[in-house]
Amino acid sequence: MNNPLFTTRREFLRTTLLGGALAWTVPSFVAQTFSALHAQADGALTQVATGKDGPILVLIQLAGGNDGLNAVVPYTNDFYYKARPTIAIPSKQVLTLSDTLGLNPAMTGFKDLFDAGHLSIVNGVGYPNPNRSHFRSTEIWQTASDEDKYLSDGWLGRYFDNACQGCDPTVAINIGPRMPQAFSSHSPTGITLENPDSYRFMGSGKNDDETLAYRSMYTPNPDDNVFGGGENSGASVSMVSGTVTLQNGQSALDFLERTSMDAQVSSDKIRAIAAKTARKSNYPGSALARNLQLVAGLIGGGLPTRVFYVSQGGYDTHTGQRGGQDARLRELSEAVKAFTDDLAAMGEFDRVMIMTFSEFGRRVHENGSQGTDHGAAAPMFLVGSQMKAGLLGAEPSLAPADLTDGDIKYNTDFRSVYASILQEWLKTNSVPILGKQFPTLPIIT
Amino acid sequence: MLEPLPGSHWNTTTAAHLMNRAGFGGSPSDIENLREMGLGKAVSWFIDYGKIPDNTPAPDWAHPDPDAIARREAINKAADPETRRLLQQQENQDRFTQMADLRYWWIRRMALGPRPFQEKMTLFWHGHFATSFEKVEAPYFLWLQNETLRQNAVGNFNQLLIAASEDPAMLLYLDGARSNRNNPNENFAREVMELFTLGEGHYTEQDIQQAAKAYTGWGIGGDHLHYEYNRNNHDDGPKTIFGQTGNFTGEDVLNMICAKPECAQFIAKKLWRFFAQDQPPQPIVDALAAEFHSHDMDIRHLMRAIFTSKEFYAPDVIRSQIKSPVQWLIAATRQLQAPLPTQAMTLVMLSQLGEELFNPPNVKGWDGGIAWITTNNLLDRYNFAAALVEGDRVPLPGLLGKMKGVLNNMAEDGLLQTSPTDVSALFSTFALSNPYSFLNALQARFLNAQLAPQRMASFNDFLKSKSPLEETDIRKAIRLIMCTPEYQLT
Repeated sequence: MNNPLFTTRREFLRTTLLGGALAWTVPSFVAQTFSALHAQADGALTQVATGKDGPILVLIQLAGGNDGLNAVVPYTNDFYYKARPTIAIPSKQVLTLSDTLGLNPAMTGFKDLFDAGHLSIVNGVGYPNPNRSHFRSTEIWQTASDEDKYLSDGWLGRYFDNACQGCDPTVAINIGPRMPQAFSSHSPTGITLENPDSYRFMGSGKNDDETLAYRSMYTPNPDDNVFGGGENSGASVSMVSGTVTLQNGQSALDFLERTSMDAQVSSDKIRAIAAKTARKSNYPGSALARNLQLVAGLIGGGLPTRVFYVSQGGYDTHTGQRGGQDARLRELSEAVKAFTDDLAAMGEFDRVMIMTFSEFGRRVHENGSQGTDHGAAAPMFLVGSQMKAGLLGAEPSLAPADLTDGDIKYNTDFRSVYASILQEWLKTNSVPILGKQFPTLPIIT
Repeated sequence: MLEPLPGSHWNTTTAAHLMNRAGFGGSPSDIENLREMGLGKAVSWFIDYGKIPDNTPAPDWAHPDPDAIARREAINKAADPETRRLLQQQENQDRFTQMADLRYWWIRRMALGPRPFQEKMTLFWHGHFATSFEKVEAPYFLWLQNETLRQNAVGNFNQLLIAASEDPAMLLYLDGARSNRNNPNENFAREVMELFTLGEGHYTEQDIQQAAKAYTGWGIGGDHLHYEYNRNNHDDGPKTIFGQTGNFTGEDVLNMICAKPECAQFIAKKLWRFFAQDQPPQPIVDALAAEFHSHDMDIRHLMRAIFTSKEFYAPDVIRSQIKSPVQWLIAATRQLQAPLPTQAMTLVMLSQLGEELFNPPNVKGWDGGIAWITTNNLLDRYNFAAALVEGDRVPLPGLLGKMKGVLNNMAEDGLLQTSPTDVSALFSTFALSNPYSFLNALQARFLNAQLAPQRMASFNDFLKSKSPLEETDIRKAIRLIMCTPEYQLT
């Protein structure tokens, strides 16, 4: 709560942005976001960034527990073929990455990205004493907690708490019905939307009197301190920086006024962008592809978003895994390829990194139903034009003696990957966010 | 001890406050009836609910199901994967249907049952002793836990703690059922101290490890239908907990925890936070904890102390809380004097707004307060308000992408419809006679308070051209007042 970075940023805001009586207009709202994140990034306290130069992280959650061994196949490993007599992927079919590893044949899009130097794969990612419950392990990944600790705030929520209190609400966008726990924070930041069309006040007509009355309640007026309201919220500096926590003497009413305003402002922006970005591009028909297409439109439209979150389900392959998982991986690979092509065409690919994660990998041995049960460590995919492409992290051993309860032991803690992204890509100190310094990987060229 | 509220402070505002916090809100006439009772009787009506009969029947599936094991075996032994998949799918569908039943059964009981305070307390304990359908999986166990919490809602906290701990849903949720003398699981041992009784900083890692041994032996019977103590699984050796050594049982440890003053502090603070205000002042917590501790952890006694205190009715407590989605929905139907929406619509709304019962976000339950609100679900509240007020003329926001097909089918079957609110019953002829009196009546019914000036101006603009007021105008005005920050408070 009271960390040094926050103090620095407050000082920065006070000295550079708020020298005069800066009104809380919408443009300053956006400028605020960029300058806050930029100051956080490099400590250059006088520089104000523009809308087009911030790095962006896109998270793709592979829900259900993606089987790492049939995604990134150890195609020369006898233990693999012995453990999976019916569902192993024949060595002839893999899309070769190295002398020992190859991609699932459905992942041609990822193979293209790998060959282009845009995909890196971190082998054997997990955490100590792995939990095999979907529910609990997802929570561990979302909060970046130790296996035996319960945190309510998400790792990205803590990033925004540290880097960007009081930012434009669109700094973090989840595409989906519910805010992921990764975004939960002390001082809630970010918006959740599934469909830009319904992310709005629905009146009985387009410019009916009801809608006009609603808008008149929430339209920022440059002459008014519209974010005020209560007697205890008159100081503009604390408004700008501390805003949404209730610890700065703010009431729940102040918070609700602010969030109503955020909703109105972001609704207008998002729908305006979504309306004008009916772009030509070759996305496949999956829900994941549609959601990534929406993300591409929002990036191209110039939203100040730092983190987007999308998810894809269907990875809990206890039965008939080859059909199910291959289809999901094909969707993933095709959707990401279309997304990166689209970003490249818009000139935005250089500032985007994509990270996939799943709550756990699966058991090395197949079960009796041509599937696999819940396991432990698995690879993660990182995609971007600035990536140090290739294979990172030690390849895990599949020798029975090296397994724990039949599961792969992790070589890289998932928080090392988070730390690398926070430090190398988002240019922020990972220690206040992850609680300590995890070793980083060389992910950026 | 807190100061008692002077009789002269009992009025419409304080009566409305009690109605909102001890219950789920009410219409102006509900509030007037409560006010006429006087403070003592009003508080007693809520908390001494044992005098009011409640004959709500359990859901018809809520009993031990002796066929459950046979069905599970049939799934496991299915000859081919396709049969297995179909059987599993049927089983899952049945469980989801039962959960939907259970959620709506409880919401109806909160909204329409004869003992609103018992349900409000049960809701508090539901978030306190959180368990989740995602992990527990058996609807029967979740119903059973709900009954356990209801039966013990205002009794002795020590007894409630033991009952909730030995409950099958808790044993499954925090892995007690998988714990045994050779391999004691520490999950429950940690959470019971951290989240249910003492809070961090009042126990050591060693206390957790030793307590975990004491809880071994608690489990679920071989029929998977009820709690069972298994003597052979229990570690009956000596344990050292809080510096005392003995051959403690699990119940011994829970009694030791309850005897600590930190437990009274922790529970008193959490109750004040839930029922009164987000940031409990320490002097109030200290006073309540002392009262609680010295009265044998009697929950009803503590709640009476809270509801009759001057502090509970302080200006910074009244209307300082953000409504939970459940509170938002039930209070709205009472203010609108409308029936609850259909099961499908009720559950879609609560899930979308972030309070799916029996599915808390994590082991800590729902955070409450500002955590209820995001930009998205605030817009959802505003649009759902239109659905409640305008009925089926306003489409349900198409937010649940993968559910869209299902929702469309439900909509075609009429399951997502509400009727438009009958506004003729809500306002007197005088209230409707001019915009000024209408705005006053609107605020009295829906806010128990006044709008901030900026929004008051928007309402005046909206109403000034509307004379006489048509029913459509009245409905729009109601929907608009539900789209204010003020309306989200209680």
